[in-house]
Amino acid sequence: MMLRVLALLLIGLLALPLTAEAQKSIKVGFPMILSGPGALFGEPALKGAQMFAEEINAKGGVLGRKIEIVSRDTKGNADEAVRVSRELILKENVDFLVGTLTSAEGPAVSVVAKESKIVFIAPIPKTDQLTAKDKLHPYVFRVAATTTMEGRSAAEIVAKWPATKIATISPDYAYGQDVTKAFVEHIKKLKPSVQIVDQQWPKLGEADYTPFINAQLAKKPEAVFSSLWGGHFVTFAKQAKPLNYFDAIGYNFIGVGEAASPESTKAMGADYPVGIWGNSYDAFYWPEGPAAHRDYTARLSKYLKDEYPSSWAIQGYMGLQFLTEAIKKAESTDSDKVSKALLGLGVDTPHGKMTLREKDHQLNRGQLYGKTVKDPKYPFAIMKPVVYVDPTPFMD
Amino acid sequence: MPDFSFVFAQSLSGLTAAMFLFLIASGLSLIFGVLRVLNFAHGSFYMLGAYAAYQVVQWAGTGPGRFWVAALGAAVAVAILGGLVERLLFQRLYGKEELYQLLFTYALVLILSDAAKILWGTQQLSVSRPPGLAGSFTLLGATVPYYNLFILLLGPAIAVAFWVLLHRTRAGRLIRAAALDREMLGALGVNVNRLYTGVFVLGSFLGGLGGALVTPVKTIVPGMDTEMIVEAFIVVVIGGLGSFWGTFLGALIYGQVLSFGILFIPRFSIFSVFALMAAVLVIRPWGLLGRPLR
Repeated sequence: MMLRVLALLLIGLLALPLTAEAQKSIKVGFPMILSGPGALFGEPALKGAQMFAEEINAKGGVLGRKIEIVSRDTKGNADEAVRVSRELILKENVDFLVGTLTSAEGPAVSVVAKESKIVFIAPIPKTDQLTAKDKLHPYVFRVAATTTMEGRSAAEIVAKWPATKIATISPDYAYGQDVTKAFVEHIKKLKPSVQIVDQQWPKLGEADYTPFINAQLAKKPEAVFSSLWGGHFVTFAKQAKPLNYFDAIGYNFIGVGEAASPESTKAMGADYPVGIWGNSYDAFYWPEGPAAHRDYTARLSKYLKDEYPSSWAIQGYMGLQFLTEAIKKAESTDSDKVSKALLGLGVDTPHGKMTLREKDHQLNRGQLYGKTVKDPKYPFAIMKPVVYVDPTPFMD
Repeated sequence: MPDFSFVFAQSLSGLTAAMFLFLIASGLSLIFGVLRVLNFAHGSFYMLGAYAAYQVVQWAGTGPGRFWVAALGAAVAVAILGGLVERLLFQRLYGKEELYQLLFTYALVLILSDAAKILWGTQQLSVSRPPGLAGSFTLLGATVPYYNLFILLLGPAIAVAFWVLLHRTRAGRLIRAAALDREMLGALGVNVNRLYTGVFVLGSFLGGLGGALVTPVKTIVPGMDTEMIVEAFIVVVIGGLGSFWGTFLGALIYGQVLSFGILFIPRFSIFSVFALMAAVLVIRPWGLLGRPLR
């Protein structure tokens, strides 16, 4: 008995370096915000990617090789994102890049990918610039929605409301301006009777929204579009609620930038302005969702040891999913071959089948929208029903 | 011409913002005025006050009165921390070059922000308004949340209490004397070190209290420390570093400029505040009510 165990151990020890030698892992560089306020979203995106890698490695990896994720903290700074991306390519010899969070980091790292001729998949930055005609190159791809798609999705919803006097409130920087412009242009097209009665532009990270709220209410809008996101939305809503802001507009409020994400409703608890509309990358509760989504959520919940897992993990997960499918299709880890394989690639994601368009390397990634309600099953507001808005008809 | 109720609502919101700023900036100004240390970490004490209030609310629940226990408890906890930091670390820095003080307090900012991240994570945290002050009422056509009214009253109350402390008590006299000439005060047999610790504890208490009281209207997130220290600095620079009424005036001006700035130049509301600070620095580099540094 003892001998047999020893023999097995020996074989194991001998086999280990052999397989490692023959099968070098596929290295994926993952530059992401892992410190500071943005880490709230960057961490779960990394976790989603890591879960995907662990799952596929358990099944034998890709082309018989394991996926290895090498993460670096971009600190939410475009220069730092460029620096760590270069380091990942030159020192760590990563085969691909998946990552970046802000709309400043994405385009900056895209330039590095172009120089180094390495496939780069952006899972979160939404700026149109990233895949705009003059910035597009063979190696950059995006699995997030764009500001155009997000603004227009919201316009599709608001156009169905009876309101015609519409106001906007958005943080005054690239994302806020672009998504608001997309919303305004699209809703004017869908519903020519719409008047934009007021536009407020608090600075990003504004601490006191009260003057903006008062000024907006003075214009008496019937509905409001907002792109205040994350903690900015939480602060805004906490100040707006006691000023009877949401009552004054009859809760005809739509918050993009993930205002209805479980993270936001959880953070605010009883203070959340239940009844407004919002969107989210994902929602762990989604009874109408595809079976693949329920399965994904169950796995994620277990992986994160969180009953209500993050809605941002799916972006990292999908980034890796597209990358590995393309590697399989190309039967190679050569970036030139993989980038060709990514063109027009369709993948069954947890949110259903999606396709990376050939002409602009952009995924027809929609988002979940819904009116928020209280549900006794959860200690925070949820979107009900959850609607997946498919952006395919209005991506151009 | 916008109607009156709107102008009134706007000025009230400016006043509320001013009172928060005053609460926090007064601690900063006090510490600078007496200790001659520009405490960058004051924003961190503010942040810790917010986190601590959240923590106490988590432990104590949200019943009536709990919020006040949390706010006071948080401020006291931050004050104790401030005392320890002063005793163990700051005391080595007095009389050293400003550069060392700056580097040290900046290091403290980084350490405390990472510590907060380890303890509370990067999640956005939120504290509800105390149940008694959750609603709002209408005054001259403007909607005023009760909680804002409370802050509006608390600001002047703190200012008056402060004034009484500084001008009508022995401790206040010593503090004012220490600000003017600490060597002489020491020579007169006053324990200056203990006095410094006391001032630092008081300043930290105000920072922590500001952080705790801001939680019902703001989100608790990493990064709130540096955000606030910038605003507090603008306030004390406008008003005059170390000047008590200057801080009050600076906060009032800051609040109103921000409130009404968005009416005239909506896209550049923050610019108006910086423009004001630049103007003050050009005309009176020591601030509106400050006095030139020796």
